[in-house]
Amino acid sequence: MSKVRALPRLVRKVFAAPIALLPIALPIGLVIASCAPDAELDTFAEQGETARQINDLAVPVFIVAGVVLVLVCGAILWLAVRNRVPSNDDYEGEFPKQVSHNTTLEIGWTLGPLAIMVVIAIATLITHLAINSTEANAIEVQVEGQSQQWEPRVVVVGQQWWWEYRYYLTQDITTADLGDPWNLPPADIVTSGQMVIPAGEEIELIVTSRDVIHSHWIPALNGKRDAVPGLYTPWKLSADEPGVYFGQCTEFCGLSHSRMRMQAVAVSPADFQVWINKQMAPAVLPTNENSQAYRGVEVFSTYCASCHLVRGLNEADYNGAEVVSGSAPDLTHFASRTTFAGGIFNLYNRDGSLNDDQLAAWIRNPNDVKENYANDVGEGELPRGMPNMGLSERQISDVIAFLATLGEKPTASQILATEVD
Amino acid sequence: MTAKTASPSGGLLELESAEHRYVERPLGVLTRPQGGRGWRDWLSTVDHKKIGIMYGVSAMVFFVVGGVEALLIRLQLAVPNGGVLSADVYNQVFTMHGVTMVFLFIMPLAAAFANYLIPLQIGARDVAFPRLNALSFWIWLSGAVFLNSSWIVGGGGADCGWFCYSPNSGLIFSPSHGVDFYAIGLLIAGIASLVSAINLIVTCLNMRAPGMDLFRMPVLTWMLLITQFLLLFALPVITVALFLLMFDRLFDANFFNPDMGADPLLWQHLFWIFGHPEVYIIILPAFGVVSEVIPTFSRKPIFGYSFMVFSGIAIGFMGWGVWAHHMFVSGIGPISVAAFSLSTMFIAVPTGVKILNWLATMWGGQIRFTTAMLFAVGTVAMFTIGGLSGVTHALAPADTQQTDTYYIVAHFHYVIFGGGVLGLMGGLYFWWPKIFGYMLNEWRGKWNFWLMLIGFNLTFGPMHVLGLQGMSRRIDTYSAGFGFEFWNFVATIGSFIIALSVLVFFHNIWKSKREAADLPPPGPDPWDARSLEWMVPSPVPVHNFDEIPIVDGTDEWWHRKYAIDDDGKVVQIASVKSAAQDGSAKGVHLPSPSFWPLVLAVGLPLIGYGLIFNLWLCVAGGLLVGMAMYAWALEPVDDPDADHGHQHESNGSNGDDPSNGGNGTVIDVPPSDDRELVAAGVGNGEGNSS
Repeated sequence: MSKVRALPRLVRKVFAAPIALLPIALPIGLVIASCAPDAELDTFAEQGETARQINDLAVPVFIVAGVVLVLVCGAILWLAVRNRVPSNDDYEGEFPKQVSHNTTLEIGWTLGPLAIMVVIAIATLITHLAINSTEANAIEVQVEGQSQQWEPRVVVVGQQWWWEYRYYLTQDITTADLGDPWNLPPADIVTSGQMVIPAGEEIELIVTSRDVIHSHWIPALNGKRDAVPGLYTPWKLSADEPGVYFGQCTEFCGLSHSRMRMQAVAVSPADFQVWINKQMAPAVLPTNENSQAYRGVEVFSTYCASCHLVRGLNEADYNGAEVVSGSAPDLTHFASRTTFAGGIFNLYNRDGSLNDDQLAAWIRNPNDVKENYANDVGEGELPRGMPNMGLSERQISDVIAFLATLGEKPTASQILATEVD
Repeated sequence: MTAKTASPSGGLLELESAEHRYVERPLGVLTRPQGGRGWRDWLSTVDHKKIGIMYGVSAMVFFVVGGVEALLIRLQLAVPNGGVLSADVYNQVFTMHGVTMVFLFIMPLAAAFANYLIPLQIGARDVAFPRLNALSFWIWLSGAVFLNSSWIVGGGGADCGWFCYSPNSGLIFSPSHGVDFYAIGLLIAGIASLVSAINLIVTCLNMRAPGMDLFRMPVLTWMLLITQFLLLFALPVITVALFLLMFDRLFDANFFNPDMGADPLLWQHLFWIFGHPEVYIIILPAFGVVSEVIPTFSRKPIFGYSFMVFSGIAIGFMGWGVWAHHMFVSGIGPISVAAFSLSTMFIAVPTGVKILNWLATMWGGQIRFTTAMLFAVGTVAMFTIGGLSGVTHALAPADTQQTDTYYIVAHFHYVIFGGGVLGLMGGLYFWWPKIFGYMLNEWRGKWNFWLMLIGFNLTFGPMHVLGLQGMSRRIDTYSAGFGFEFWNFVATIGSFIIALSVLVFFHNIWKSKREAADLPPPGPDPWDARSLEWMVPSPVPVHNFDEIPIVDGTDEWWHRKYAIDDDGKVVQIASVKSAAQDGSAKGVHLPSPSFWPLVLAVGLPLIGYGLIFNLWLCVAGGLLVGMAMYAWALEPVDDPDADHGHQHESNGSNGDDPSNGGNGTVIDVPPSDDRELVAAGVGNGEGNSS
C-alpha cells in the first residue's frame, strides 16, 4: 500500500529535476553543435599556432567548468529529490536540525575554489605571455628582382565598413614610423578585404582605425584585437597550412557592422612571392580606344578617382578619399581579389565569370546593398561609405569593364575557396 | 480635509502664526498635502511602501518595453538576412533594449525591493529621508520617460550600444539625437539612484530597531546595503563620463574625439569603472532575495550568515578591481590585461562561497518547492552557469576569442536574467502577499516559472554555441552558411516562450486578485518566514509596526515563534497570531506627504530638452527646479494642520494623550529640528516600547 502511494510521489520528485537537467543538457548541446560542418568562424577549429595555444588553455577550463556545473546541478537535483516536502505542507512535525554554520567547511570551500583558480591563473599567465610575445622570423622575399629579408608585418586599418591591409616591403616600418592613421606612409602593397600571408610564418599585425573602433578577428588563427583610432595595437597571427580563413568585425561600428568581413588567405611561400610580384606592379591601363574598358577609365577618372586610388592612373593627384575616414579601397589590383564591398560579395561567379550583376548593383547605389550614411549627407559633411554617384547604366558597365582589367584574375580554385555566402 | 478646521496644537505654530501661513504655502501654490486617497495620494506620497510599489510597477512597464524590443531583435535574427528591421532601427532597438533592461527595469525593480523591504526588515517606520525618497522615484521616472521620449521627439533611440563606445557615440557617427537622450536621460536617472543610495545607506545605519545590530540584519538588507554603497561610488564615475559625452556632442568639447588627440579608451575606462560594479548592483539584490527565500522554504537558517555577508562585501570590494576585463582586446598593455585577468578570476571565489552556502542551507532541510523557492533555486542554477562562463572569459587569452560574440551575450544574460531577474521574480512571489494582501496562485506561478526557465534556457543557452561558432554580437543580420541558422531560430522560439511566461505572470496577478475574495487572507506570515516584515499584517499598515520590535538576534521573527530546546529540537513557543502585530495602532506619527519632489523631478527633463532643442527651455526647467527646492526647504516638516498617521482624527499632540491608544504603545515624535531623520519614528521607539 505505502509503496504504491510512494510511487507517484517519486515521479513528482523526479519531475522537480528538470531544474538541474536543463543546464546539464546545455553542454551536451554545445558539443553537438560544435560539430557543425559549416562554421567558418568556429573558434574551436583552430588552424594557427596562437589559436591553438588559446584553445589548449580554454578547453581544459571548459571541462573543469562543466564538471563544477554538473556537481552543483547534481547537488540541487539530489537535494530536491531527497529533501522535498509538499509545498503546501502545513508543518506539524519535527523541524530539521537547525545548522547555522560550519566554519571549517566554509573555509574549506573558500580555499578549494581558490586553489582551483590559482592553478587556472598560472596557466592563464603562461598562455597570455606566450600569445603576447612576437617572434616573427624574417623571411626572404624578392622585391623588384632583389632578394631581401622581410619581417612579415601587416598594417591593418579598419574603417566603416571594410578592412585595409598595408604591406611595407621596401622599408622596415614600425609603429613609430607610421604617424597618424589618417596619413600613413605610402605602402608597397595595399589590399582590402583579403589579407594574403605566407603559411607557416608568424605575421605581426599593427592594428588601427581611421574612424570608430573596430575589431579584427580571424577565429581560426587567433583571437581578436580592437582597431582603435589614433592607437596602434600590436597583434599577430599565423596559419599552419595554406587556406582561406574567414573573419568578421566584432566591435560594434555602426550601420554595416554585420557587413564588415574579411579573409586571411594563406599561401605557400612560393605563391606568396608570386603574389608580391604581381601586386607591386602598377596597373596596366587599357590602350584600345574603342574598348569599353578604355571608356571606363574616363568614367573612373571623373567619378571614382577622388576617392579610389589606381596606381599608374591617378596617384599623382590622389590626396585621400573625400569620406569621413579619409580612405577608400585601393583598386590597383581590384580584379585579383575575389570579394568586394567589405568582404561581403563575390567578385566572381562559381564558373569563373565576373559577378557583374552584383558589382553593378553595388555601383548603382551602394546603400541599397550595404547600408551606409553616404547618400544624404548635409552641407559641409562628408559621407560614410560609398555614395550613389548617379552613374548611367552605360557608365556602370564601362567602369566595370575597366575594373575587370585591374590585376590578374584569380584561379578557379581560389575563387571557390574564398567564396562568401 | 476636515483636519483643516481643527485647531492646530503645538507651540511652534501658535507662536508664529503669521509666518505659519507663509510656511504652509511656501510659494502660494501647493499646501502640504495630507495624504488622502486616489492619485493625489500617490503623487505626493512619501511612504516608502508606496514608493516601492511605484518603482515596481514602473519597472514592470519598462520590462514590457524592453521585452518588446528583445522580441524585435529575436524576430530579426530568427533567420539569415532577416528583413524585419533596417540596420539603423535594429541598432536603436538593441541599444534601447539594453539600456531599458538595465537602467529602467532591473535597477528600479531592485529599488522597489530596497524601498519596500529595508525599513521593514530593520524594524523602522520609513526611510531616513522620506521626501528625498519620493524625489528619487520621481527623478528616476522622469529620466526614464525622457530617455524613451527620444523615440518620438529625438529622431529615434540611441544607436551606440548600451556602453556607447566613443567615437561611435560622437556627433559625426551618430547624428540623430538618440545619444543625447541617452546621455542626459541616464544623467537624470543617475541623480535618482545617487539620492536613493544615500537615503538607504543612512536608513540602514541609523534607523535600525533597538537590538538590530548590523550583523543581525537580514542578508537581503545586507546585500541591498552593499548595492547602495556600490551605487554611491559608481554613479559619480558614469556621471562624469556622460557629462563629457554630452558636452562633446552639444558643445564640441572634444573629450573623446581622436581627431583632436583624444584617447577613445578614456570612455571605456570610465564606463566600465561604473559598468562592472553595475553588474553587482544588479545581481546582489537578487542574491539577497535568494538568501531569504531558501532558508524559509528549507525550514533552516541561512547557512553561514557571516560568510554570506562577508562574501557580499568582498564581491563589493573586488568588483572595483576588475573593470578592464571588458577591455582585454582593446589594446591596453599585456601587464594590465594580466592583472585584470587575475583579479577577475578571484572574484569567482566569494561568488562560489555563496552558491555552496545556499546548497548547504538546503542540505538536510525540508524543502517546499513553492513558486518563490523554484525561482530561488532556479537562480542558483542559472547563475552558476553564468558564473562559470564568466570564469572562462576571465582567462584573457580565451576572452580574445569570446569577447564581443554571442558567448558574451549568453554569459551576461545568464547572470542578469538567470541571476537577477529570476531572483527578483522569486522575490515578487515571496513578498506579494505581504505587499498586496493576497497570494499569487501557486499553480499559475509554477507555469510561470517553468515557462520562464525553459524559455530562458532555449533563448540564451544556444547563444553560448553561437558565440563559440563565431557569431559576433550586435550584428543586425547574418549570412547563411556560418552554421548560425539553427540555434538562432531556437533562440527566437525561446524568447517567445519567455514572453508567454511574463503574460502568465501578469495574468496571475489579475486572476489571483479576483480569486482572493473567496480565499482566506494570507495573514501576516503565510510562509512561516523569518524576518521582521512577517510580524506585521499583510498588506503592511501605513505605520509599519504598531510598536518597534526589540531585536535579540538574526531571524528575529522566527525566534519569536520558535525556540530550540535543550535537545536541540525546535519547539513552537508562540502562534503567528499571538506573536504578530495586528496593525491597530492609531495616531502613529508619520512624515507628511509633499508635492515638491514631483515638481522638482519634472524640471529636470525640461532642462534636458532645453539642452538638446532650445536653451530657453533650460531656463524654464531651472526655474521649476529652483522653485521646488525653495518651496521644499520652507515647507514645514509636517503639515501643521494634519493629524498623525493619516487617521484623520483631530489629534496632533505628543502621543501622551490616552485617547490615542490602540494596541500597544503609540510612538509619536514632535516636530523637531532633527526633521525627517526622526520623523520616521525610530528615535522614540525604544523608550516607548513595552
